Amino acid sequence: MHGIKRRNLTQEALVQKRSQAQQQIHRYRSQTAKVLSLKGAKVYSIDALKETTILLDLNPEFNAVWNYRRDIIKGIRDELSEDFWHDELSFTMVQLKSFPKVYWIWNHRVWCLNNCQGNALKLWKYELGIVGKILSMDPRNFHGWHYRRIVVNKLEALSRISMNKDEFNYTTKIINENISNFSAWHQRCQLIPKMLKHGEITNFPEFVQKETDYIINAMFTDADDQSVWTYVHWFIKDECIVNNIPTQEYISMLLKFEENITMINEDEIDFSGKENIWCLKTLVSIESIQIKNLGLPIESHIKDYLNKLMDLDPLRRKKYVHMLNNA
Amino acid sequence: MQLYINEHIKYIKSLDKKQQDYEYWLTEHLRLNGIYWGLTALCCLDASDVFDRDEVIEFVKSCWDSETGGFSAYKDHDAHLVTTLSALQILATYDALHELSDTEVDACVEFIKGNQLADGSFQGDRFGEVDTRFSYTALSSLSILGRLTPEVVDPAVEFIKRCYNFDGGFGLCPGAESHAAQAFTCVGALAIVNRLSDLTEEQITTIACWLCERQVPEGGLNGRPNKLPDVCYSWWVLSTLAIIDRLDWVDHGELRKFILKSQDPKEGGISDRPDNEVDVFHTLFGLAGLSLMGFDGLIPLDPVYCMPLSVTTKFRKYPYI
Repeated sequence: MHGIKRRNLTQEALVQKRSQAQQQIHRYRSQTAKVLSLKGAKVYSIDALKETTILLDLNPEFNAVWNYRRDIIKGIRDELSEDFWHDELSFTMVQLKSFPKVYWIWNHRVWCLNNCQGNALKLWKYELGIVGKILSMDPRNFHGWHYRRIVVNKLEALSRISMNKDEFNYTTKIINENISNFSAWHQRCQLIPKMLKHGEITNFPEFVQKETDYIINAMFTDADDQSVWTYVHWFIKDECIVNNIPTQEYISMLLKFEENITMINEDEIDFSGKENIWCLKTLVSIESIQIKNLGLPIESHIKDYLNKLMDLDPLRRKKYVHMLNNA
Repeated sequence: MQLYINEHIKYIKSLDKKQQDYEYWLTEHLRLNGIYWGLTALCCLDASDVFDRDEVIEFVKSCWDSETGGFSAYKDHDAHLVTTLSALQILATYDALHELSDTEVDACVEFIKGNQLADGSFQGDRFGEVDTRFSYTALSSLSILGRLTPEVVDPAVEFIKRCYNFDGGFGLCPGAESHAAQAFTCVGALAIVNRLSDLTEEQITTIACWLCERQVPEGGLNGRPNKLPDVCYSWWVLSTLAIIDRLDWVDHGELRKFILKSQDPKEGGISDRPDNEVDVFHTLFGLAGLSLMGFDGLIPLDPVYCMPLSVTTKFRKYPYI
């Protein structure tokens, strides 16, 4: 159970709750018995399908019933019209609206789309709109993002047209709405290497410059948000970026980050009297790249930063001790 | 704040006496998992004799699906890799794996192997859902049965490695966002098959860095950036840190307080976070987290298997000699 407030019921309230439950239990158990007996007898018919609908409305987490439902559909698929599949998709949609985190419903929807009649490209395109709506209701929904990747892969396979750029723009839109959406930043890390590989970025150094500005802007927007900082770590380290711009530009990019992060950190000192944890952590990473990877002759402040972090971020003290010992 | 040991035992004991509650029936599809959670929590509390051993074993056997060779959550439900692992965990904990005949074990092994796909991943059942959770459940099950083979392990490891993300976490499939539960299933699975050495030293450090960022100012751990803390991550995160030998990279004092605050001191049980409704899942993972941190009076659990260490030391270690 997640996120349900504890109620300490009085004896009286408990008795009342249980008497109300009696009827529900009776209905649920008799419906379960009915469906499982049909399932055991391998009855595949429209009537049996309706019985599973009743049960799944009562309990959408009953995976064996979803399985049985698919077996029924496979058994009678020759009798099914296009309308049936439309209704089946609507059924899962209604369920998802109430239970957006139940794996079985998502699975059933994917199965339906893979098995149903009709113009597949049209169906999956419609699905992209659906998943967009679901993500607009809960922009961090784990299932939603996973589902979006499934839909996009399917559409790309069907149309043989890359959607990398569209999806990249989608992440920009989501991040502009809320820069703390790490799911979108994560997706960006997946897309950039693919766009590069498929020649979808014509001038990569220019792209990197723009992305640098975009990141810096996000860092200024909320310097305490770990999403953007995690993304920066990817951006300054991943070979997809590092190996595809001239070294001099890479060095300038690191310097630009360093200057801006130092500025954000100074603002924070003026504002709260304390240094910003994420600024210090990122400065450690940048200096480490400059010294260890690029061999630049600069003075190291890493130990100084790590010592400060031990005080500022005590939950992770042992990590900094470990890093200091290895610095 | 104290640990309400007796209340928790009473709570777990009461779970099978709730037939008057609608929720009891609605959660039938989790019954076998529930028994594993309850039994392991009781073991952790040094009260493994609270359940009737014979009754539980009978129940587990009633969940066997002779058609597929796997176990379902309840009689007449469908076999799945997750429930198959729960069945084997319960039997192993009771030292009762011999209750399965050789043919049953063979069928079970075939069921598990039969769900491995060409890319090394595992589907949970014949309907094709792929998730690194199922890689873990498959490898853990085969390990409990002492039936791992390179034909299964090598592609499984390759798939798991493809789920590693730049941030140090793992996703449910390649390309999916990092999630703390997946860190446990992936790193745990690698540990089971003795392949942690496939991770570089830098990756191990990055994994530990990502995991320790899961601790939030409330003391608890979350599953992804910017999410609320939840007691169950006390297990997913801590066990993974323990497996890669970085258990102290989170603050134990603060985490302990968070877990203890999530107890129901009156009726027993632990919830996802303070003042919420308790359940047996969070009760186990709260206790398991405390046990990993060496809480006084709790029995040590194996971070790889989430079972008592005294049970898992008997498992054959892969590669078999």
